[in-house]
Amino acid sequence: METALQTRVEVARSELIQLVSFKLEEEEYGVNVLKVREIIRMPTITRVPNTPHYIEGVINLRGKVIPIISMRKRFSLPEGETSSQTRIMVMDMDGELMGFVVDAVSEVIRISESEIQPPPAVVNSAVEQECLSGVINQTERLLFFLDLEKLISRDERQMFSGIL
Amino acid sequence: MAIECEDQELLEGFLTETTELLEKLDDDLVTLEKAPSDTELMNGIFRSIHTVKGASSFLGFELLVKVTHKTEDVLNRLRRSELAVDPEIMDVILEAVDLVKLLVSDIKGGDIVDREIDGTIAKLLPYLSDNAKEATVLKQPAPATPPLAAPAAEQGTTAAPPPPAPEPQAAPEPAPVKAAAPSPPAKAPSPPAARDVDKKADDLSDNSTVRVDVKRLDDLMNQVGELVLERNRMMQLNTDFQGGGEDSAFGEEFGKLSKRISFVTSELQMQVLKMRMIPVEKVFKKFPRIVRNLARDLGKEVDLVILGEETELDRSVVDEIGDPLIHLIRNAMDHGLETPDERVAAGKPGKGTLILSAAHEGNQIVISIKDDGKGIDPDRIARKAKEKGLVTDEQLAAMGQREILDLIFLPGFSTKEKATDLSGRGVGMDVVRTNIKKLNGIIDIKSELGQGSEFILKLPLTLAIIQSLLVEVEDETYSIPLAAVLETLRVEEREFHVIGGQEVLKLRNSVLPLMRLQKVFNVAGSDRARTACYVVVVGVAEKRVGLVVSRLLGQQEVAIKSLGKYLANLPGIAGSTILGDGRVTLIIDPAGLLENSDGSGGGRIAA
Repeated sequence: METALQTRVEVARSELIQLVSFKLEEEEYGVNVLKVREIIRMPTITRVPNTPHYIEGVINLRGKVIPIISMRKRFSLPEGETSSQTRIMVMDMDGELMGFVVDAVSEVIRISESEIQPPPAVVNSAVEQECLSGVINQTERLLFFLDLEKLISRDERQMFSGIL
Repeated sequence: MAIECEDQELLEGFLTETTELLEKLDDDLVTLEKAPSDTELMNGIFRSIHTVKGASSFLGFELLVKVTHKTEDVLNRLRRSELAVDPEIMDVILEAVDLVKLLVSDIKGGDIVDREIDGTIAKLLPYLSDNAKEATVLKQPAPATPPLAAPAAEQGTTAAPPPPAPEPQAAPEPAPVKAAAPSPPAKAPSPPAARDVDKKADDLSDNSTVRVDVKRLDDLMNQVGELVLERNRMMQLNTDFQGGGEDSAFGEEFGKLSKRISFVTSELQMQVLKMRMIPVEKVFKKFPRIVRNLARDLGKEVDLVILGEETELDRSVVDEIGDPLIHLIRNAMDHGLETPDERVAAGKPGKGTLILSAAHEGNQIVISIKDDGKGIDPDRIARKAKEKGLVTDEQLAAMGQREILDLIFLPGFSTKEKATDLSGRGVGMDVVRTNIKKLNGIIDIKSELGQGSEFILKLPLTLAIIQSLLVEVEDETYSIPLAAVLETLRVEEREFHVIGGQEVLKLRNSVLPLMRLQKVFNVAGSDRARTACYVVVVGVAEKRVGLVVSRLLGQQEVAIKSLGKYLANLPGIAGSTILGDGRVTLIIDPAGLLENSDGSGGGRIAA
C-alpha cells in the first residue's frame, strides 16, 4: 500500500509537462502548453485609449474581441520591430482569452517537472520575480518558466486601484 | 431549515406559478378597492389565493398555508358580502399578501426562515369573527394617524377610496398598516416585516427563466430553417466557384445571396430580440399599489392613469427602470400634486391625475410621468441650489430655464426643508439620473408653473445590439450609440469659443460644452490639415455635450462585444464591436465621458 503511494508520488514528481517556448530579446521563456490556445500572426490591432502603455489594443479573434499585451513593453524591454517571426500567443487567463506579443515562438518542449528549479533570488532577466515560477537549465540553454496568470491578476489589481 | 422537497421540478413549478399569481394579486387588490362590486375580480383574487394555499399545503409549507388560509377566509367573507371592502381591510389583506411573498421568496431562496406570522394573522382574525362588521366600525375612530384614513374609509364603503399612491422604494405602508391594525400587539412587528417584504418581493420577480410564446418560437425555427437553406446555397456557390465557374455569374448570384442572408439575419435578430422583450407592464403593475399607499400617507387624492403598458422592451432595460420610475412617481406625488384643498383653491379638481405612459418611438422607448400638480418653480430651484452651495450666482446667471430645472438632478439637492420618510434627502433624482445614464437613456423635463410637470425618459430598446454612429477621430474609428446622439453638425473650428478654459459652441440659444475626442482618447494627430470638423451632440440623462470628431462615417447596427475583465471599466469606453471588414471598433460610452469631464473642463480623462 505504502509503496504504491510512493510510486505515485514519484511519478507525479517526474511528470512530464509541455512548454511552449518563445523568445524575447534573445532570451528564452516557456509557458505551460495547456494555457496556450493558439498562436497567430499579427493582425490589425485596434488601439484602446487610456490604458497602460503595454496594452497594444484589441483584436478580433473570430468574432471575439480579445486584449493584446506586448511582452516587450510589459517587461520594459526596448521596443522591437514587428518581424515575420513576431507572433501573438493567445492564452487562457482564468477563463478569459488574452494575446501576448512575443518576438518568436520556437517550439514545444517536453520536460519532466523535476527539471524545473526554483528561480534564483536575483534573476538576470527582465521579467518580474513574481511571475517567474522556475528556471529550466538544459544543456546549452536556459529557459525561464513563466506564470502569466500571476502577472495579469496583479496588473488587474493595479488597474482597478487606479494606477492606470 | 432547509427545504426538503423530493421533487425539485414540482417545487419549481410551484414557485413559478405562485410568483405569477402574487404579482398579479397586488394590482388586482388595488383595482378591487376601487371597484368593490366587481364580483369577477373578487372571484379571481379568491381563486389565486386559494391556488397558492392548495399548492403550499400539498408541498407542506405550513407557514404559507396558515397565512393564505386566513387571508382566503377573509376574502371569502368579502366575496359573500359579509364584509364590505374598505381601505382598512385592504391594508390588512395587502400586508398578508406581502407576507406570503416574503415566505415564497424564502422558499425560493432555498431556506425556510421561521418568520413571525402571528402579527399579520392576528390582524386578519377580527374580520373573521361574527361581529366582524362591528370590528370594522369600531376601528374607524382609531386610524387617527394617517390624515386621509377617515375620509378614505367613508368613501371605501360607498364607491372607492382614493386610488393609488407611490410608495417609497422599500416601505410599503408602514403608517396606514399600523393605524388600521385592530389588535395592538400586532403593531410592532409589522413595519419592519413590511419593509423586508417589499425588497424581497422584488427578488421574487427576478428573471432567470423565460416564458416564450410558442408562436414566437415557431417563427424562430422557421427563420433558422431559412438560414440553413441560405448557408447551403452559399456552400454550393463556393463549390461551383472553386470548380471554375464564371466570374460574372458568380458575382450576380453572390449579390442575390448576400441580400437574402442579410434579410434572414435581420429577421432572425428581430425575432430573438422579441423573445427577450417583456411588456413594461411588469414594472407598471407595481405602481397602482404604490400610488395608493402614498396617496393615503400624504393625504392626497390621485387618479393614476396607465397608458401603453403593453409596450415591450428588453428585459435588461425593464430590470433597471423600476427604481427610477418609483422615484419619479414619488416626486410627482410628493412635490408635484397638491392636497385636495390646495387644488380646489387653485381652481382644479380636488383629485389629481398622474399619467404614466409608455410608447415606442423609433428605436427608443419613451416613458413619461406626467402630473397636473403645481409644476416646478425654477426660481425656487435656483434659490435652493444656491442655499445648498451647489451652484454659484455666476453659474446661475448663465443658466437658461432648462439648465435650472436640471439642477434637481444634483446629488444633495432637495427643496424640502426637512427629510421625511418619503423624500428630502436629495438622493432620489440622483438615483434616477444614475440608472438612466447606465441605460444610455435621456431625461427631459417639461414643466409649467401651476399646470403640472412631465418627466420624459427615452431609453434604448435593447442593450445587446444597438444602432450606432461611426465616426472618425483622426485615423481611428469609434462608434457612438445612436440613442445618445441628438444631432450632428459640421462646423468650422473658428466658430468655437473658449469660456473658462472650456471650449464651447454656440448652438442656437444654448451654449454647448465641447469635448475633443482626439484629446480625450489621446489619438495621434494625422497630417491631414482641416479647418472644418464635425460636432456630435450627445445627451446623457439631462446633460448635453458636443463631441468633436474629424469625420462622420455613417450609421450602423452593431452588436456589443465586451472587452473582457482585463479591460473592463475603461473610462469613456462602453465596449467594442466588429465592423464588416473585421476590424474592431470601440464603442464610446457617453455617460462615462460626461462623468469624467465633470470639473476637468472636458480635457483628458485619465493620466
